Amino acid sequence: MSAGPGWRAGWKLVLFLALVAVIYTGVSLVVRFTQDEPVRYDDDEEHFKYGSLGGEREAGFPYWVWKVLPKVCADHLPGGARYPNREYAALGFLYEGERDLPVGVSKRRHLGIDRVFLNCAACHASTVRETPMSVPLVYTGMPAHRLDLMAFERFLFDCAKDARFTPDLIIPAIQEAGGELGLLDQFVVYPMAVHLMRARLVMLDRRFAFMLDKGPEREWGPGRVDTFAFAKALLNFRMDNVPERENIGVVDFPSIWLQEPRKGMHLHWDGNNTSMEERNRSAAFGSGATPPTLDRIAMKRVEQWLLARAPPAYPFSIDRTLAAKGAPIYRKWCSGCHGASGRDFSGQAVGTVVPIAGIRTDRYRLDSYTYELPVNQNLLYAGTDDPTERFSHFRKTNGYANLPLDGIWLRAPYLHNGSVPTLRDLLEPRSRRPARFFRGNDVYDQRKVGFVHTEAEGNGQSYFLFNTADDKDRSLPGNGREGHEGAAYGADLPADDKWALVEYLKTF
Amino acid sequence: MYEDISRKKRKLTAVLLLVLVLGIAGAAVGWYKFFRDEGIPEWITKDPDMRFKYGSIGAEHEAGIPYWIWYVIPRVFPDKFPGSGGYASLGVLWEEGQEMPIGFTKRVIGFPRVANTCASCHTASYRAKPSDKPTFVLTGPNHTLDLQAFFRLLVDVAKDPRFNPDVLMGEIRLVADLGWLDKLLYRYLIIPITKKRLLEREPQFAWIYRRDFPEWGRGRDDAMNLTKYFMIKEPMDDSIGPTDMPSVWNLQKYKPEKGHFMNLAGDSHDARSVVMDSALGVVGARPKSRTEFLGHVDWFLDYLGQYPAPKYPFPIDPMKAAAGKALFNQACAKCHASERTGTRVPVEEVGTDRERLDTWSKEAAIKANQVVRDFGLERKGLVEEPLIGYVASFLDGIWLRAPYLHNGSVPTLRDLLEPVEKRPTVFFRGYDVYNPVKVGFVTTRQEADQLGLPDEHERAKLREDVQRLGARYDVSQRASGNQGHTFGTDLPEKEKDALVEYLKTL
Repeated sequence: MSAGPGWRAGWKLVLFLALVAVIYTGVSLVVRFTQDEPVRYDDDEEHFKYGSLGGEREAGFPYWVWKVLPKVCADHLPGGARYPNREYAALGFLYEGERDLPVGVSKRRHLGIDRVFLNCAACHASTVRETPMSVPLVYTGMPAHRLDLMAFERFLFDCAKDARFTPDLIIPAIQEAGGELGLLDQFVVYPMAVHLMRARLVMLDRRFAFMLDKGPEREWGPGRVDTFAFAKALLNFRMDNVPERENIGVVDFPSIWLQEPRKGMHLHWDGNNTSMEERNRSAAFGSGATPPTLDRIAMKRVEQWLLARAPPAYPFSIDRTLAAKGAPIYRKWCSGCHGASGRDFSGQAVGTVVPIAGIRTDRYRLDSYTYELPVNQNLLYAGTDDPTERFSHFRKTNGYANLPLDGIWLRAPYLHNGSVPTLRDLLEPRSRRPARFFRGNDVYDQRKVGFVHTEAEGNGQSYFLFNTADDKDRSLPGNGREGHEGAAYGADLPADDKWALVEYLKTF
Repeated sequence: MYEDISRKKRKLTAVLLLVLVLGIAGAAVGWYKFFRDEGIPEWITKDPDMRFKYGSIGAEHEAGIPYWIWYVIPRVFPDKFPGSGGYASLGVLWEEGQEMPIGFTKRVIGFPRVANTCASCHTASYRAKPSDKPTFVLTGPNHTLDLQAFFRLLVDVAKDPRFNPDVLMGEIRLVADLGWLDKLLYRYLIIPITKKRLLEREPQFAWIYRRDFPEWGRGRDDAMNLTKYFMIKEPMDDSIGPTDMPSVWNLQKYKPEKGHFMNLAGDSHDARSVVMDSALGVVGARPKSRTEFLGHVDWFLDYLGQYPAPKYPFPIDPMKAAAGKALFNQACAKCHASERTGTRVPVEEVGTDRERLDTWSKEAAIKANQVVRDFGLERKGLVEEPLIGYVASFLDGIWLRAPYLHNGSVPTLRDLLEPVEKRPTVFFRGYDVYNPVKVGFVTTRQEADQLGLPDEHERAKLREDVQRLGARYDVSQRASGNQGHTFGTDLPEKEKDALVEYLKTL
């Protein structure tokens, strides 16, 4: 009864196959979990809309978790049910065609799973409709005037803190949504990813609490963001004893076209930085991109594209005669600060900072950028391989910067805090500007130039009521609609001239 | 048989050689990662002002904090800071565009480390109104810095459970990709060693945690106690004597041959001794290189010797100042512009708070001089005599040296000309908006209102910030008395105003 040679050979074969299996598994695991590959796009505009800047490596959500979160936490995203499989549309995200991710969300294979996070387009692309019945047209580079970033953050944090944020509920939801997770993903990878994501969100929730928990009067609403509150959160400033006058900095998202002719100008609403590259890296923190994770090549590509990317032409009819009448008025009253035209930004004061005592617009955003912030920002991007990356251009200013007006028709509402709904309203004094209006509608107001802002709802969606003042018409902190008024700003022009000026600005 | 032995020998030699090579390689890596000194970059050394602000004096060897730990401390421990703004909230001065705050140095000794230099305590800031950016005056007293809070911070964070490799590396990972070797070194050596070293300071700092002592507040330090507990390692006694950070401009005015003594109580012989002792305090140990250290001392002596006192930056009424000059000559010159200036005046004669004198002694001076001699450093050193009183100070740049008296107990020059009972008893130090009427910084809401800034927003902000950012000073606390130096307090109001106007010109 001894084992014959056949028996031995059989064992050898088994051992050999086992070895092959182990090596194969090992190699495939290594290949899978060391992969770091974004979804790439040949077209620059597609890259802008959906391309990765590297932020997913640090901040990325597992794709399938992103997909099912609105279902798992449905009550934290009340409007979501109206947009099946596109629930984030309820927060103002835009979906194109048959795409499963909205504009401004990129995807990267990293740590063995597909991870998604925001890119530039989330805050710098939006839509316009001619009538409530029209199909929305997506324009890249314009302010994301419909995106409610605050609500988006809240949704994520509230969901992360909810008892339902657990693999036990999320993974079945993924399978139901067609995730087809294999055993390894189902029992190891995704449970771990869910726990990590929760830990990360809870950490961020604590750091962001100071900007999110200010009560209903401090809602940003769609299209607005407290830009430098994020810098304070990034640096984890102690915020519990900061006075209110330095703690409100909510502004409109800006447009980001034509960066080449903007080089050297004072960038950001208060003109706190003159370096375009630094400003871009600063903004990229919003996409989760940190010094170790920023995809510098992808970033450069966006940067290059934006140098010459021009705003779209005004798509509706323009009264050319009236516009021609507006041209000399613009030249006389506006061009010194805002540039010779919508493409020619020359003008003695373009891109410079007007002291707050002169412009007299709401000063909260200015005051929220305290001297302590730029000096601490000096440490950002320190210690990377390229010493020129370290931030060194941030400055405390004492006013707001004069901006070129390219594509101004798409940049409503107006003023840095978005407190004036249309260009025509901006030419009126504070007392005749709307004290409250609705934000978030993309139907265009061709008469006054801006978005329709008088409707509380449309297409089953309710819009955000933006209050610039309280019942006694005292400006609300950060929301004041005052400033950029008086004779020097064209407020005393005859009404006909104002209409002509507005018509002319459509050509920008 | 022989063959066998020789083969064994060869084997052994090969092994030994391998061990040797590995040993040398390991030592080289160890030296590179922990000891290689990259020195001071040229942009700092070639510009004297840059060197004063950011130039290493070698403190990174013993007193240095690893750069990435220093970097993430404000992010990990925001609750340990007084307000928003990280290190800036401690009153550390920080220029726009600069990576390091003024007086903070970064030097690679194996790995980047952060330490301090003289400028951290000896650079002043002022502003005309709250919305202005601060103007920095090198060699002036840093009246905004809460040095005690900074000292406590470094001990407190080390004691905090969050000071561990997981938390710190978790934060560092968000800002830098250190590479695998540095990550290991940080996790297993640099972070634990830093924690240990910071905790070692705790017993010597026991006195700055005492509840029965007043806070130093902004702009002050307890210099002789620091020397006593750190340099000569005396056991803690019951003395306390925080004093204003001094200006260190124009040091050439001190002439030992004319009987001048230095430091507030005349406890040091000459500028060289003061510079050396202060630098030793910053370095925190025997200097690694005696030559390098002495080179720094000589450079500082030269730089500070000639550095001019700053001119008063606001308007001066020349008529009033001229009238004030005559009054000054009558009432003040005999101490502040005479042979007596720079010499010690018995405390009984001036009547100011004496506790600063009692923090030091002849015995302490002898011991401290011995410690420095043992470092191989020659200097005239500390005065080995009992302290009798405070030095009648030179008044150059006096406008920027507020608050006044050695303990900073009188906020403005105008207040100093009031009788003791009319001087402010509670005020807020360390806010840097200037008060050109009273000559000093704005220290109370009342003063803020009196200043009458034209812009409503500026007024409101000044009013709010003076108390929010300032450190409360109460003259009834120990070592904080505002009595004494009653010279000129009986002058008529108008003459006092004229005198103060003149003092702006000094």
